[in-house]
Amino acid sequence: DLLQWPQISKCRSPELETFSCYWTDGNYYNLTAPGTIQLLYMKRNDEDWKECPDYITAGENSCYFNTSYTSIWIPYCVKLANKDEVFDEKCFSVDEIVLPDPPVHLNWTLLNTSQTGIHGDIQVRWDPPPTADVQKGWITLEYELQYKEVNETKWKELEPRLSTMVPLYSLKMGRDYEIRVRSRQRTSEKFGEFSEILYVSFSQAGFEFVHCAEELEFPWFLVVIFGACGLAVTVILILLSKQPRLKMLIFPPVPVPKIKGIDTDLLKKGKLDEVNSILASHDNYKTQLYNDDLWVEFIELDIEDPDVKNRVSDTDRLLTEDHLKSHNCLGAKDDDSGRASCCEPDIPETDFSASDTCDAISDIDQFKKATEKEEDLLCLDRKDNDESLPSLADTDTQQPHSTTRSENSQPWPPFTDSIDSASPSVHTQLSNQNSLTNTDFYTQVSDITPAGSVVLSPGQKNKMGRTQCEGCTEQNFTMDNAYFCEADVKKCIAVTSHEEDEPHVQEQSCNEDAYFTTESLTTTGINLGASTAETPSSEMPVPDYTSIHIVHSPQGLVLNATALPVPDKEFNMSCGYVSTDQLNKIMP
Amino acid sequence: MSNKGTSLKGLLLVVLLVSNILLTKEGVTSLPICPNGSVNCQVSLGELFERAVKLSHSIHFLASEIFNEFDERYAQGRGFIAKAVNGCHTSSLTTPEDKEQAQQIHHEDLLNVVLGVLRSWNDPLIHLASEVQRIKEAPDTILWKAVEIEEQNKRLLEGIEKIIGRVHSGETGNEIYSQWEGLPSLQLADEDSRLFAFYNLLHCFRRDSHKIDNYLKLLKCRLIHDSNC
Repeated sequence: DLLQWPQISKCRSPELETFSCYWTDGNYYNLTAPGTIQLLYMKRNDEDWKECPDYITAGENSCYFNTSYTSIWIPYCVKLANKDEVFDEKCFSVDEIVLPDPPVHLNWTLLNTSQTGIHGDIQVRWDPPPTADVQKGWITLEYELQYKEVNETKWKELEPRLSTMVPLYSLKMGRDYEIRVRSRQRTSEKFGEFSEILYVSFSQAGFEFVHCAEELEFPWFLVVIFGACGLAVTVILILLSKQPRLKMLIFPPVPVPKIKGIDTDLLKKGKLDEVNSILASHDNYKTQLYNDDLWVEFIELDIEDPDVKNRVSDTDRLLTEDHLKSHNCLGAKDDDSGRASCCEPDIPETDFSASDTCDAISDIDQFKKATEKEEDLLCLDRKDNDESLPSLADTDTQQPHSTTRSENSQPWPPFTDSIDSASPSVHTQLSNQNSLTNTDFYTQVSDITPAGSVVLSPGQKNKMGRTQCEGCTEQNFTMDNAYFCEADVKKCIAVTSHEEDEPHVQEQSCNEDAYFTTESLTTTGINLGASTAETPSSEMPVPDYTSIHIVHSPQGLVLNATALPVPDKEFNMSCGYVSTDQLNKIMP
Repeated sequence: MSNKGTSLKGLLLVVLLVSNILLTKEGVTSLPICPNGSVNCQVSLGELFERAVKLSHSIHFLASEIFNEFDERYAQGRGFIAKAVNGCHTSSLTTPEDKEQAQQIHHEDLLNVVLGVLRSWNDPLIHLASEVQRIKEAPDTILWKAVEIEEQNKRLLEGIEKIIGRVHSGETGNEIYSQWEGLPSLQLADEDSRLFAFYNLLHCFRRDSHKIDNYLKLLKCRLIHDSNC
């Protein structure tokens, strides 16, 4: 057996006036010589240990300190020892070890019974422990009541409270109950001992009671019913939401602003020209578009000698205006939605549609902006400079560049005016330009179709020499530029085809395109018929990209080369050229 | 018409606001103090004691809790308990040690004793609330309890002063209270020593708050309920 030393089991004060300590012997006595165990105590101010004043009152193995020995709020130390050794020691203050006695005199009274007689309310009362001086307020107690049915095992607890009476509600009158109460000091945690158990039996009091079958503890069927209903409603709602018609019926969609014929996707994709065309079909928009377009006017071109035309300022005029155009064209590459899909660099020779996607609108805007790009001028200049046009052994080539340049520098509006006004100036310009660019000036208006379309002819045989207009503009630019795109393409194609029959669709940012652009611009007001494959100057060996193939926008025309096996393609966007059909639609 | 209506509304609003301001100026507190119509509006002594006892009980409750939490968190394994027999700074004050002494002392003197103890704790509690925040990883519960204790102690002090003003027939006795010198111990660099200083302080305050609570309850039963609580 293990040696168990004597231990102080607990020290307790029931009423904050006295206290007592209890200890256990252990098996010490059996193993060693019997000695006397003493309990010694010391208060804080004492100097020495004192012996327990009363071993008897509290029972065996206990020490009782009466009121004279007890001081509250003062630290005590007690130790269990015999002569030789100390077994155990504890330090405390009396206010910390308060455990009240149990309440006494429990009783109950019936408050009322339910109408069915099954349940009843009772009131339980008790008295505080007699030792505790509650009346004077020296100690404040709170009580906890516990009750249960006789044949149950678990006690039900109520909240601790200060009052000495508690109602118990809804007790079953057919059953017997047990009740017990315990108390503790109000600010402590530990409870004292339980009181004696109070038995509650209704039959004893002679009450009538009804033995009822067990009530439903929980209305399960109600839960099931409501759950099913909720589930059904949820399922119905889900089904309803899946049916678009029903959904429309219940939740009608809010109308969003919409313009007839325009799909927001179009705008998103950036197909401005399509949008533009649609918008143009509305009268208002049309007027807006064309209000300020000075150059969107009818061009009266007189059909004269091609040669004259060559020399005439048509080209020049176009060129002069051209620089603006070219500017715009060239500059067009900057921005504008829809330019992205503009003229592709690699356009098959026979595929003029490659240059589509150029936004006519963007071109218009660019023209309006009149962005001055050196490139335009450069194009022209370069062409003038770089091009050694051996084949273009034209007298016109000797024409001074300055004229063209100067003419180029002229603002756009005058050009349109000039175009409108007189062809001679144009012709002169054209001739000047011809000297520079020569063959690729499809700027000679060789004919006007009955439908009003303008048939342009290159006017020059010397298209051989003209190949690349290098450095004129970047590919993108040329492609972008409606006018240039087409013109370039066509011109190049024409040239190459003329020469070598090679598709030369690279960016030939030849200024000649400008001419085309001019034409195309001006032809907006012109109701151009289907591309007439007329070759304005039959004598021209160069294919005439003069037949209007497509009217792409108000500002653009797709000129078709009659000489070349141009596929009759309908390309919607070719650098601003407007297909005739579209033009027809657009124009009133 | 609409203008008239809006101006009327505005006027009404202004009137309401002004009346509200004037009313609040009277210092409405949570507990209704004065019964309507009385000229000499005074809280009854019983009501004052009631509030004082409530406060003192709450203070003691918080002090017990904060001590228990501190004990659990920081004092385990450090052997603080054995050393807690050290004296508190209020030990020098003469206070009734048991029920007989408390019953024999005059209620005015007892009130003075209570006031002295409360005054002695005013300073330490302020420092406790501030220094406890410097403890490493102090739980929030300890922090807000320290602040709450300090506030309630102040209120209880005011309440007791009011009661004394009502109860004292003669001149107010000079309250004896002990100065607290323990601030340096709360700011020691050594963590163990510092924590023990806190432990000691909380232990002492738990004891003293229990003392105050008991005295006030005794006084209340004696004076208000005629020793028949």
